[in-house]
Amino acid sequence: MLQRFLSQESLRKRALNKVNQGALHDYLSTPLTSKKVECEELVIVSLDLETTGLDPKRDKILSYGLVEIRHMMVKLETSRHQLIAIDEEIPEESAVIHHITDDQAATGIPLEEALPELLERLAGKVMLVHYSAIEQNFINAACKKIYGAPFVIPIIDTLVLARQLFERRNHTIQAGNLRLFNLRPRYNLPNYKAHNALSDALATAELFLAMASEMFPQPSKCQLSRFLTR
Amino acid sequence: MEIELVEIRDFLAQRPPFDVLPEEQLNQLPKILDIRYLRRGSDFPPPESDQSYIYILRSGAVELLDEEDKLVEKLGEGGVYTTDCQLIDFGRAIRGISTEDTLLYQLPCSHLKVLRQSEPAFDRHFSESIRDRLKQAVRTLQDNGENSSLAQMTVEVSHLLKKAPITIGTNSTIRQAAQLMSEKNVSSVMLMSGDRLAGMITDRDLRKRCVAAGLSPEEPVSAIMTTDLETVQENTLAIQALMTMTRLHVHHLPVMRDAQVVGMLSATDLARHQTTNSAFLATDVRKAETLQDLANVSARLPELQFQLANSSATALHIGEAISSITDSLTVRLIEMAEAELGPAPVPYVWMCGGSQARGEQTSHSDQDNALLISDQMKPEHVAYFETLAKRVTDGLNACNFVYCPGDAMASNDKWRQTLSAWRKYFNTWINKPDPMSLMLSSIFFDLRPVHGDKELFLELQSEILDKTRGNGIFTAFMAANALQHRPPLGFFRTFVLIHDGAHDDTFDIKHRGIVPITDIARVFALSQGLKPVNTTERLLAAAETSILSREMGENLVDALEFIASMRINHQAEQIRKGIQPDNYLAPDELSDLERRHLKDAFRVIQDMQETLESRYQGGRFR
Repeated sequence: MLQRFLSQESLRKRALNKVNQGALHDYLSTPLTSKKVECEELVIVSLDLETTGLDPKRDKILSYGLVEIRHMMVKLETSRHQLIAIDEEIPEESAVIHHITDDQAATGIPLEEALPELLERLAGKVMLVHYSAIEQNFINAACKKIYGAPFVIPIIDTLVLARQLFERRNHTIQAGNLRLFNLRPRYNLPNYKAHNALSDALATAELFLAMASEMFPQPSKCQLSRFLTR
Repeated sequence: MEIELVEIRDFLAQRPPFDVLPEEQLNQLPKILDIRYLRRGSDFPPPESDQSYIYILRSGAVELLDEEDKLVEKLGEGGVYTTDCQLIDFGRAIRGISTEDTLLYQLPCSHLKVLRQSEPAFDRHFSESIRDRLKQAVRTLQDNGENSSLAQMTVEVSHLLKKAPITIGTNSTIRQAAQLMSEKNVSSVMLMSGDRLAGMITDRDLRKRCVAAGLSPEEPVSAIMTTDLETVQENTLAIQALMTMTRLHVHHLPVMRDAQVVGMLSATDLARHQTTNSAFLATDVRKAETLQDLANVSARLPELQFQLANSSATALHIGEAISSITDSLTVRLIEMAEAELGPAPVPYVWMCGGSQARGEQTSHSDQDNALLISDQMKPEHVAYFETLAKRVTDGLNACNFVYCPGDAMASNDKWRQTLSAWRKYFNTWINKPDPMSLMLSSIFFDLRPVHGDKELFLELQSEILDKTRGNGIFTAFMAANALQHRPPLGFFRTFVLIHDGAHDDTFDIKHRGIVPITDIARVFALSQGLKPVNTTERLLAAAETSILSREMGENLVDALEFIASMRINHQAEQIRKGIQPDNYLAPDELSDLERRHLKDAFRVIQDMQETLESRYQGGRFR
């Protein structure tokens, strides 16, 4: 409960006190992006995880995909897709969604190796996701398990932004309305057939650019605080 | 290896100029791109760029405008904008605006340069001038034609056999064999010894080896037959059979299924298959005895056009072929009328006008013609020419060259006149041009003699050209007239883009593509006093004078050839489907490349029209 009243910056410092070294220590040593930074100057990492299920305590991360936004442009040269090896079979009900087979997962690297790179890519930046519960909770759980301290980052959640935009226009929200691939056509964004962590991260990044340009017709008025979920 | 960003790679792989990049380059390309989003109504290209880029539209739409805010071009999904990399793609455009929410890919000019240096095919897309591209396009059209002409001859001979084999035993008499050939109406018969093919005889053998040699027709047929026959198997290709015939100097080849005779292939079968050749049709016209005969021949014109379009023929040659058959039809109709009415009382010449005169007809053109009669004509001769003109124009109508909607035909009293009367007409048209005379100009300033006293025509023609040559006022009027029909700007999605920004589902390729060039060529020909009537010949002749640069002349010739070919192909497709051919093309029947070439051709016309406009308005036209 306490966390809700503390600034993210102080949460970062508290967490930093719990780790002395390693990837999370390095990550937490970097100051978080200030809320006052203008959009044009923001470095945003659009991230998507594929997991074996929805429970961060029990389920595993299978892959991550990310791509950066700088100067309100998606920089494809920063794109990254990483498969993660797990020591159990992939449940069939999740394979239907992410299409990652056991054979493919076996070509991945263990989470212990993947997490440092992911943290390095996120350090000092803003995380962009569609529906933050998954990414935030899974990375948080992994950090606690591996490094014994929580994960702290400013988050932009396009699902939350979409809900706000719907509510502001007094649109009733129906089932499925807020899903990534149902929101994209509203902004004339193309339909992507591939469904993996990277293409979802890219789809989210494009959706964010579209939403930001809708919210801020004058880009100079755009700053991070307006997008933050908490 | 897993290809990341496969969606973007696949998108680029389908679109020029990226479609020519090799796999490896394509796979790496997405990683170099940045993505931007432009809300509807935003400036394009995005103003706050740190360096220069080419832009590729992933979705949405962008309009490009000139300094007067007139639409120059509209880009849709897959549209590529390279102007910022010092490449001229949309000439007069100075600014742009997104008219829909638009997702853009941007590629730095520096990387474009690298790609161009490493991939010649990719580089060609940017380095080629309109001129080179059009030349290449015309050449490609003709190459494709040659291939399909060859394809026509790659049919197996079994498909060409019309009759069951005509055979008779070797022990029959020569007379019996001759009787069988007459009865079956064939020029050869195969001689069997039991089931085995033993030999054959032809008309020629009967003539040379029997009658001329004084051999009795009661002798056995084996006495005059050819043995050691060359045969072909039924799956032999027509082209190979033709080569065999040519090599052996024979006109007949028995066709076998293994050792069994299945038919006889004649040189005529092959020729008939190859084309409804214009030479054959012209021969048939000359042999025709009745109007019905002529109508039967002209009914084959769409088929001729279709076959020529599928062969190596250029649009230029197809126009010539159809027009020459219309000439033959006209001549034959005049001969038939004269045979009945008697010879003409005074000299005259039958003239054709419009597309027939220019040698640019298609199989569904209407007729434009006129009669020029010697000044010796007396009032009592009026009826003769009236009847003659009516017979011929009715005849042409029956042959599917329908009456001219504007009544510009010899059957109209107005267009059946003496030399002095025509002289007066042209004097008025040239010295006091008015909208009516301009309307008629595409018919009567394109005249050609078809039958009769050609001297009479040449006299009129040289008088006309003397009056138009260097005639500034007349040329200015003609030039203004040549600006009436404007080509489209290009295509946007499934629409045709027109100057005022309007959209259309189809466009009239004749009036928006061919007529503007024909009109321009006429202006040059008349103002320079050039004799050719055919548009290509006019342009080439004008390019020898100071009025038209050689480069522009060649560009216009290529533009015309490409546009006319697209029209011929469009009509060939309609003929194949059994629909009445028309001039309305829909953008979705065009490939990306065809759209691009058509746009180049339109651009050539636009440039010429603009030159004409400024010259004419500046009053510097001479």
